[in-house]
Amino acid sequence: MRYLLGRVLGLVPVLGLITILSFGLMHLAPGKPTDAATQFNPKVSLEVRQRMEQLYGLDQPLPVQYARWLSRLARLDFGRSFIDDRPVITKIAERLPLTIGINVLVVLLVWGLAIPLGAWAALRPGSVFDRATTVFVFLGYSVPTFWLALIVMALFGVRLQWLPISGLHSLDAEAWPWAWQAWDLARHLLLPVGVMVFVSLAGISRYMRSSMVEVLRQDYIRTARAKGLPETRVVFHHGLRNALLPIITILGFELPALISGSVVMETIFALPGMGRLFYEAVMARDYAVVMALVTIGAVLTMLGNLLADVAYAWADPRIRVSARA
Amino acid sequence: MFVLLPLARAEETPVAGDALVVGSIGDASRLVPILASDSASGDIVGLLFNGLLKYNERLEIVGDLAESWLVSPDGLTLTFTLRPHLRWHDGAALTAEDVRFTYERLIDPAVRTPFSSSYELVQSLEVLDPRTIRVQYKEPFAPALESWMMGIIPKHLLEGQDLNTTPFLRQPVGHGPYKFKRWKTGELIELAANEDYFEHRPQLDRYLYRIIPDQATLFLELLTHGIDLASLTPLQYQRQTSTPAIARQFQKFRYPSFGFTYLGYNLQDARFRDVRVRQAINLAIDKDALIQGVLYGLGSAATGPYPKESWAYDPAIRPPPFDLEAARRLLGEAGWLDRDGDGWLDREGQAFRFTLMTNQGNEVRRQVAELIQRQLKLLGIDAQIRIIEWSVFVHEFIDKRRFEVVLLAWNLSRDPDIYDLFHSSKTKEGEYNFIGYSNPEVDRLLIEGRRVFDQTQRQAIYRRVHRLLYEDQPYTFLYVPDALPIIDSRFRHVVATPIGIGYNLIDWYVPQPEQRYRRMAP
Repeated sequence: MRYLLGRVLGLVPVLGLITILSFGLMHLAPGKPTDAATQFNPKVSLEVRQRMEQLYGLDQPLPVQYARWLSRLARLDFGRSFIDDRPVITKIAERLPLTIGINVLVVLLVWGLAIPLGAWAALRPGSVFDRATTVFVFLGYSVPTFWLALIVMALFGVRLQWLPISGLHSLDAEAWPWAWQAWDLARHLLLPVGVMVFVSLAGISRYMRSSMVEVLRQDYIRTARAKGLPETRVVFHHGLRNALLPIITILGFELPALISGSVVMETIFALPGMGRLFYEAVMARDYAVVMALVTIGAVLTMLGNLLADVAYAWADPRIRVSARA
Repeated sequence: MFVLLPLARAEETPVAGDALVVGSIGDASRLVPILASDSASGDIVGLLFNGLLKYNERLEIVGDLAESWLVSPDGLTLTFTLRPHLRWHDGAALTAEDVRFTYERLIDPAVRTPFSSSYELVQSLEVLDPRTIRVQYKEPFAPALESWMMGIIPKHLLEGQDLNTTPFLRQPVGHGPYKFKRWKTGELIELAANEDYFEHRPQLDRYLYRIIPDQATLFLELLTHGIDLASLTPLQYQRQTSTPAIARQFQKFRYPSFGFTYLGYNLQDARFRDVRVRQAINLAIDKDALIQGVLYGLGSAATGPYPKESWAYDPAIRPPPFDLEAARRLLGEAGWLDRDGDGWLDREGQAFRFTLMTNQGNEVRRQVAELIQRQLKLLGIDAQIRIIEWSVFVHEFIDKRRFEVVLLAWNLSRDPDIYDLFHSSKTKEGEYNFIGYSNPEVDRLLIEGRRVFDQTQRQAIYRRVHRLLYEDQPYTFLYVPDALPIIDSRFRHVVATPIGIGYNLIDWYVPQPEQRYRRMAP
């Protein structure tokens, strides 16, 4: 318990540093959120441009702007977007469900496929199955995502006309019964989710494979076999459980990734998710949105690490013991 | 100019129904005319709100909400009379008070509008009666007419609210041909026909604005009829939409856009202060080669700041011949000769070498820079290309005058007033005469052009400006790119005019058998 408390308190200064750094970097980048509306438009006079900056408080010195931002944050207020003057939190809340939904789906599918693939390949290293999966997952790893996305769109959307190309819903889907709506949504998600799963299979399945190969070489596996346990029990009970340990650590790192979304996929498939929100905010110098996302991302990364440590401690008695010592 | 005329069809009577699905790269941000500064917001706001005046298809100013308007002989007073029986989408009457309210918000220093500059010369605005507005100016200002094309906003719904944050920004109530229905951020904006629109009800029941941020996806959606209307790139126009099947399913249009790409010289630089050098570069750049090379021929050579369709364009000015010999002669007169025989021109021991700067993220511009580099090399001028991220480019190089030559483009409004670009007073940091151009006659004409309302007189003034700019070459005007919209062939009455295709949207219709989207209950 004290270990946990200490870890959590240690995170506060780190978070402070992260926000100061990102605030500084964001404002060091040339350009202002008001530029898009006022810049290089001869109909907008210099005075008007300066007044717009004043109205948004952009004429204040940086430390003042940061202090204002921090005091708002203390009241859990992320401010309003510079682009459309909506509360930042509303903008995030609007996009979060889609990104989390897609990412959870992708993670489940990737893990569900990658762990058996990796484990199976590890049982017979060098076999045809092992080599075939290696080629397959590395194909996914090395093919450019945007290119693959366009190819499947052109194939399944334009040539075969089986699936819709982009977006989330058909135009008048709101009027349909819910079962049709769900079917419609599934059809729209099939291509983006499929592509995302395919390109991220490699990481986890390779980890799983090497971890499993490693474990199967251990003395205790030999012992288990020697005392005559059935092979399935050796592999699943003694092998798989131990091989999963390092994989759990990776799961912790995936927590922040769940809300970050993919700029490339969301742009190509016209999905209104967090990746596009972040990218568009950076491009438009929408400081309020960028800072909110950076802060939330930082908090989640730290929580994820913490969670992984805790889960690790729970799964591996050695860590608990050494931490107590 | 029609490129692909749809095959002649039997005369049909327009029928109501169907929907138009438009594809857009960006989402809107604020659906109120005086705050709508991005093009997506502008597209939507333009269908929800009208101004007092508008441009017709021949680029002439005509009444919109105003039935008539009057400019006093001294040019100081504008009087607008509204059409009778104008109504907001919620049924309330639209009156002169709404016009006053719109004006007051535009000049309100607390409202975050970028458009207030156009109203600085207004002395006062009075409501004479519910249909009549009189605007008094401090001095005559002809471009003011264009400023009254600003959409009028409803006083009865917005009075007492903070316009910057009002919920109205996302559920606007207008008075235009279409009514706001819904907006799913980042996905879709839906508008429905206004049954009571003062001209007549639009034939198309619905207008759907789909946000698809990727150009390639947009194109695939078009091919599968997920969207009906989009803008093509020159490559898509020439190479990817020329099959007979696509020609049958779509109508393609092509007309010059209102903008031009140019080389701007820093006139503080002694080399470029010499007009012969600028004229020589103009002669040595083959504009047609640029247009062929990067726009696949879909553009026209520019000779000045106006497109050919504008009444301010002087047709007597011909695009300069591509003439390397003449260019060499001019440079020789200016003292630039290849004395040391290394292939580069030199003067006082210095080779003619400059940095050609342009912004990142614009592929066409990068290619143009490379072609110009190659063409100037033939002349013996060494142009080094430097590509810089947009914000850095503007703040660190343009604003601070730290450039030699820039490659940029202007998109201008329809009024030919270009005071901000070329008047010698507009050279402060952040202003737009960043090249430092100064010609007393141009200065005088640009002021005069703002003070005269009569179009014939203004035409003479701006044609003279066009001529002077052509002779002075403060910019080398390169080309005017074409706008390249494509639309599903089921839509009838779509015509390309100098102002584009959208001006008569309310007359577009789809014959009953070809309608794709079911009729909505009114």
